[in-house]
Amino acid sequence: MIRTLRIVVLGLTVVLTGCVTSTVDEMVFNEPIEGIGDSSVVILGRRHASDYETEFDFIECIADHVVARDSSIEIIDEIEFINALYPWFEPRTAPLRPADIDRLVQQKPVAQRLTDLKLEYMIWVDGSTVQTNSAGSMTCGVGPGGAGCFGFGTWGNASDYEATIWDFTDKAEVGRLNASTSGQSYMPAVVVPIPIIAPVQGTACDGLGDQLLQFLSSEH
Amino acid sequence: MSDSMTSGPDRQTARRSGLARAGLLFCLVFVASCSTKEVIVVGNFPPPLMEPLPVTLGVWYEPDFLGHEFFDEAKGRAESSWIVKTGDAQVQMWSQLLNNMFTRITKMDGKPAPDQMNPIVDAVLIPRVDELQYAIPAHTNVKVYEIWMRYAFELVTTNGEPIAEWTMTAYGKTPTAFLQSDEAAVNLAAVVALRDAGAHFITSFQKVPAVAAWLEELQQQRAAVASR
Repeated sequence: MIRTLRIVVLGLTVVLTGCVTSTVDEMVFNEPIEGIGDSSVVILGRRHASDYETEFDFIECIADHVVARDSSIEIIDEIEFINALYPWFEPRTAPLRPADIDRLVQQKPVAQRLTDLKLEYMIWVDGSTVQTNSAGSMTCGVGPGGAGCFGFGTWGNASDYEATIWDFTDKAEVGRLNASTSGQSYMPAVVVPIPIIAPVQGTACDGLGDQLLQFLSSEH
Repeated sequence: MSDSMTSGPDRQTARRSGLARAGLLFCLVFVASCSTKEVIVVGNFPPPLMEPLPVTLGVWYEPDFLGHEFFDEAKGRAESSWIVKTGDAQVQMWSQLLNNMFTRITKMDGKPAPDQMNPIVDAVLIPRVDELQYAIPAHTNVKVYEIWMRYAFELVTTNGEPIAEWTMTAYGKTPTAFLQSDEAAVNLAAVVALRDAGAHFITSFQKVPAVAAWLEELQQQRAAVASR
């Protein structure tokens, strides 16, 4: 009985998931062959553009993806890091080039805090997920006999993220990863709306997470 | 069918009840469309990580600053009026920031003036919010909530003589989020704007020409006293 239920749930998950096209590029140098040891990594989103900002939950998703597959990698929580180094990683003040780190560490308290954190790599993720198109219409109503919807809706999403890896010790850029995904979601409704969602952002997260894992982990 | 089963007085009661419900619904719709959304900005502001400047600074918050609020009246029935109260959050953020940015901070007893008794300090900072603007998705069709502020600062002696005057802007935005109310999003945008104000102040304070000149003069005075 439980097995049948599992198969039904799995089947529904497969059927109700929209298709996603994904492209992942990578270019890395000086990979840490032995892993990063007891050093730590921070993954930060870029938020200085006026028309978009890299989502906090996307950064959390990448960090969770990496840690779930190699728990020896210590990733500092983004918000904790930004608060611990306030105001030097705010959208207005965040370093844009590895050379800017020199300017930062000239301040003793900042240098000391970074040493305490044993930071080895700083990974900047720039990009966002946007809705590219939408069509269709749906009408819902409530009556004495119950409620229901009728119609069809579809929308497209596209994600484009680039991760730049800075080696904190050498103050140099050592890698650039890119994940571009797109997909179309559908929602047919005959009484009950059935969402068939394309996991566009999730696929981009998995793509970047896998590439970062290969870079940071000695086991992958 | 139901009418035939209802007696005369019951029908009247039902009609009254229906009218009352319709009236209540109308009032709710009317009140909802013309309601005022109030945001009392609340947030946590981390202390700045920096070496304090060797200055004993006095700070005077004017009553307008302590109770700063922004009111925007609805342009039409479909819109809401907004009150954004930032006073408490302003004082919280600026007190935290200044306490860590300078070696010593003293709150003044009154606005610096020749006949005003005040603690002895190197200078007194008077911050003011000159302007606040906000934008919500209903205004712009962009899925972002924004707060923009312009501050005006006065640095004066304890007698009220001007040392420096300058303005500074701060900006905060937050994207729309699922299950997030307009009020929560405006609060978050205001907190981001206050953080930005702190970051901008720290990075620009010593670059204001009149402030830079005053700091140099202060350093020279101290060196002269030390060499005696």
